[in-house]
Amino acid sequence: MIRRVLPVLKPYRAMVFIMVLMGLFSSLADSAFPLFNRYALDHFVAGGTLKGIGLFAALYVGVLLMQVAANYISMSYVGQIEVTVNRDLRNMLFRHLQSLSFSYFNQNSVGYIHARVMSDTGKIGSLLSWRMMDVVWNASYLIFILVVMFRINARLALWILLLLPAAILAGFYFQRKLVAVNRQVRESNSRIVGNINEGVTGVRSIKTLVIEDRISRDFEEETGNYQRMAVKAGHYSALFTSGLTFASAAALALVLWQGGSLTEKGWMQIGTLSVFMSYALGMIEPIQYLVHTVSAAIEVKVNIERVTKLLETAPDVADPPEVVERYGDMLHPKRENWEELKGEVEFQDVSFHYPDGEELVLEHFNLKVPQGTNVAIVGETGAGKTTLVNLVCRFFEPTQGRVLIDGRDARERSQLWLHSNIGYVLQTPHLFSGTVRENLLYGNPEASEEEIAWAVGLVAAGEVIERLGGLDAQVGEGGDMLSTGEKQLLSFARAILADPRILILDEATSSIDTVTEAKIRDAIRTVIRGRTSFIIAHRLSTIIQADVILVIRDGKIIERGTHDELMELGGYYHDLYTSQAFPE
Amino acid sequence: MMNLFLLGSRRYYVLSMIFILLSSLLDLVNPRLIGYTVDTALGRGTGRVALLVLFVALFAALFRYLFQLTNAVGTERFVKRLRDLLFSHLIRLPYAWHRSSHTGDIIQRCTSDVETVKVFLSEQLTSLFRIIVMMSLSIFFMSKIHAGLTLIAIGFIPLIVLFSMYFHGKIGKAFMKAEEEEARFSAVVQENLTGVRVVRAFGREIDENERFEKKNYLYTRMWIRVLRLGAAFWTSNDFLAAGRTMVVSILGAVLCVRGELSAGSFLAFVAYNAMLDWPVRMLGRIISEMSKAGVSVGRICAIMNAEEEDKPETPLCPPMDREICFDHVSFSYEDAAEEVLHDICLRVPEGSTVGILGGTGSGKSTLMMLLDKLYGLSGREGMSVKGRITIGGVDLKDIDTGYLRRNIGMVLQEPYLFSRTLSENIGITQETLDMGEVKRAARIASLEESVDRFYQGYDTFVGERGVTLSGGQKQRTAIAQMLIRRPPVMIFDDSLSAVDAATDAAIRKALSENIGGSTVFLIAHRVQTLMHADQIIVMDRGRILEKGTHRELMERDGIYRVTYEMQNGLEPKEAGA
Repeated sequence: MIRRVLPVLKPYRAMVFIMVLMGLFSSLADSAFPLFNRYALDHFVAGGTLKGIGLFAALYVGVLLMQVAANYISMSYVGQIEVTVNRDLRNMLFRHLQSLSFSYFNQNSVGYIHARVMSDTGKIGSLLSWRMMDVVWNASYLIFILVVMFRINARLALWILLLLPAAILAGFYFQRKLVAVNRQVRESNSRIVGNINEGVTGVRSIKTLVIEDRISRDFEEETGNYQRMAVKAGHYSALFTSGLTFASAAALALVLWQGGSLTEKGWMQIGTLSVFMSYALGMIEPIQYLVHTVSAAIEVKVNIERVTKLLETAPDVADPPEVVERYGDMLHPKRENWEELKGEVEFQDVSFHYPDGEELVLEHFNLKVPQGTNVAIVGETGAGKTTLVNLVCRFFEPTQGRVLIDGRDARERSQLWLHSNIGYVLQTPHLFSGTVRENLLYGNPEASEEEIAWAVGLVAAGEVIERLGGLDAQVGEGGDMLSTGEKQLLSFARAILADPRILILDEATSSIDTVTEAKIRDAIRTVIRGRTSFIIAHRLSTIIQADVILVIRDGKIIERGTHDELMELGGYYHDLYTSQAFPE
Repeated sequence: MMNLFLLGSRRYYVLSMIFILLSSLLDLVNPRLIGYTVDTALGRGTGRVALLVLFVALFAALFRYLFQLTNAVGTERFVKRLRDLLFSHLIRLPYAWHRSSHTGDIIQRCTSDVETVKVFLSEQLTSLFRIIVMMSLSIFFMSKIHAGLTLIAIGFIPLIVLFSMYFHGKIGKAFMKAEEEEARFSAVVQENLTGVRVVRAFGREIDENERFEKKNYLYTRMWIRVLRLGAAFWTSNDFLAAGRTMVVSILGAVLCVRGELSAGSFLAFVAYNAMLDWPVRMLGRIISEMSKAGVSVGRICAIMNAEEEDKPETPLCPPMDREICFDHVSFSYEDAAEEVLHDICLRVPEGSTVGILGGTGSGKSTLMMLLDKLYGLSGREGMSVKGRITIGGVDLKDIDTGYLRRNIGMVLQEPYLFSRTLSENIGITQETLDMGEVKRAARIASLEESVDRFYQGYDTFVGERGVTLSGGQKQRTAIAQMLIRRPPVMIFDDSLSAVDAATDAAIRKALSENIGGSTVFLIAHRVQTLMHADQIIVMDRGRILEKGTHRELMERDGIYRVTYEMQNGLEPKEAGA
């Protein structure tokens, strides 16, 4: 599993090499220090002489300084590898996300995708840096001290080696328990955070519904659940750490018992005994670290799977290689090869169902929209109005049949070419945090001050912008300083400034009050002149002027014509219009 | 305030401290045993000493386990209590308080500040206690062995502690900067993902990618700085500690050679000295981090000290199916010059329907919030309220808030759904879920058809972590949610805006057939929604401009008629024409 993410380390091969080398040196030095003590004990203390102590101290300090340098280098490299690998992974994921289709974003929540980009990458980065370094350091330290122990006294070393399997097995047992219970603790915690979030963002509903007690009760149930889990986790980790210290003491007792008898027979010196004591005490911790690292690495498997799954998700709408060859891809467009878009749109025998559904939203749909035509689309919720315009934009592709733009299959040109020529005002408007101006310029960064003023005037957004504090005022995160209606006004102005060949208004004025909407109606009339446009609206008063009105029901056009023609027809549209205008 | 939170967990902390003391004492026995072994037991059999070491270690481990367990129990009890009190208080704070606070900030206080306080209690405070115990005991034992050498061994300590405090201060600052950058970076990603349709529609992928990578690089740089500082700190700290050990070892060896110290005592001294390493290293860190806990406690207490909603002294529960009367009601925020509501007078007979037409900022929603006491009427919450609202002659101020709200059903324009199933959302006000009632309410709210389309029907999980409902579906769910209570007063605050005209009409028809007798406030942009109301008021900038029935208002040349004509696609007639 780790092999699948190893390639991200490739650019940092040299750093990884140095990091490992320095880590090896550091653990070598650590395992050598008890030997220094042994020399001091046997040579100076037991020998009763101070001869050569200056040289000894100098050597000691020398090794110490070298180890400090090695530690510094390996630690900074580990950190650097961690964050740069994280960064590279995030870049890869984000770039891939930019190429994925609408259906991916419809099926996966923002929170889910966000976690893939922001937290999974972090886990993988630390696996490839700190965890790897932990293994290198602890494994080499263990090997070094085992080698030294066997060289000094094989019999005592064998005794200590006996402890090893028990320590490893017990370590794994506890780690497994701990990992499992800690996961439950984390899950419970994220539910608690979710509850708090709900309590804060939904406070108005909680108050109007008078469900404070119920919400508190549910919250307390969850915190109780958390408490139980956390105490359980505390119990395991307490058992684990106290077991650890006991194991160290057991190793020490073993050395005292066995080594003591060796020493009293004169087969072993005090200095050697102290080396064994240091090793016995220092051995348990690296074992536990290794065990811990291995179980943590197993945990990361999930994160790696999620990330690779995202990277392997192919976009539903993709430009074929020959199109990319000619027009460029999403991030490297070849604008010099782009043809001018005129705005003729044609549906040829189009059938469509969403990737996550079976039901056909459009069935054998045919429609030819000449350049510059103003099309209005009327129909009930779920009739397929939005689907229709999504197909024009190639946010989705037909399951069957084809959509022609200027007489050529939309798939023959790049998505970016099409999108750069389309202005789409969505029903749920979205602004980006930043100033009003930045938002207005989103579709056309080169627009002049005059053009901005013109567009703002056209959609009657002057008053709103003035209230906010001018063009350079902040709109807040997601534009939350504005009401839905105000956001619709600004996103309309944004689309106008983009000067698109095809303009799509999907319920673009649903939250705007009637007086303002009346002003906008004139704006719409001005803007759609000469452009192909599709307007979806519930309020029929906004679409009377359309060149052609399509009434859609269950994915089919049931009526088509101008307002007058459809009124004369006396069908669905007539009924709808009269019911809206003269109910009674 | 902390006393309130600590109720029920303090005794566990006391126990925990006792166990710390016991286990530390036992930890300090072993070096003595080693010293004894080397000096006297060698040659007389070390088996018994080894057994003693094992025995002592067993008890040390036991006390260590008990210390950690009691600590965990006490801490988790404390955290639960703190969270419960905080949350329960939070949702009972006035709506005005929530409006003026930032969501992100409140959530941070309830999560990461709570975490900081938890770490302070469970780790820092106990660690500090343990450090002090360990240090004083080791120093005591060391001084028994050799006073002079002890002085040299502990001479380094203040230096190391100061050094680590200094570094931790620096690392802490860099860390905070990196975290702030992370928040900004995370917001950029969040925004790109929520706005992905806009990005696509305008073909702005290149710029978005650039923006992302720029933030990504900046964020990475911040972290590299933190990690470099950390690496420098840990290695230099290691160096200082190792240096201390080396000086003590060499000087100890010299003392041994001179005969001032036995080999066993020397080994014991070195072992005690090693025991100082960890406490010394931690001390600087803990001192520099403990100051954070104070800040967090302050931030949590700021929420706890905010006053809950007004409660009348002797709350009344009068019948609610009575005439509602707004008597010269004015409303303004203290910091704003202009009044949100100005001298509103309105009589709503029991069981009648009022239609309200008005643009953004006309004050119509504020009027409804006053009726539901979402804004306190005492004017305590940074707002001033004049005039009075009565129901059946009883002043709203004197009515029990919970009772009032239970009897006023309010549906918001952008309703909030909870992370539960659809049926649980509809029946959230009910103690037990009666599916018959849920279905009845859903049918009246024209929600049934949508439910049928969901794969799991009423068991479909909605809200934050569930299926995303359309604006219209949310509104209809909220209507069903309200209907299940059959309240005598109902408020529809522009809550049909996201459904199409046909559905709007169907809902209104079903409502009038199924719920006779309720007093209804209907706010809408669509004249068609309002025209059947018993009386219609037109509001603008906090004032009532027009009042009357549809017929009466159509005869006048006002906003109502203009709106009506515009919505029906008729050119407004010129005045006097």
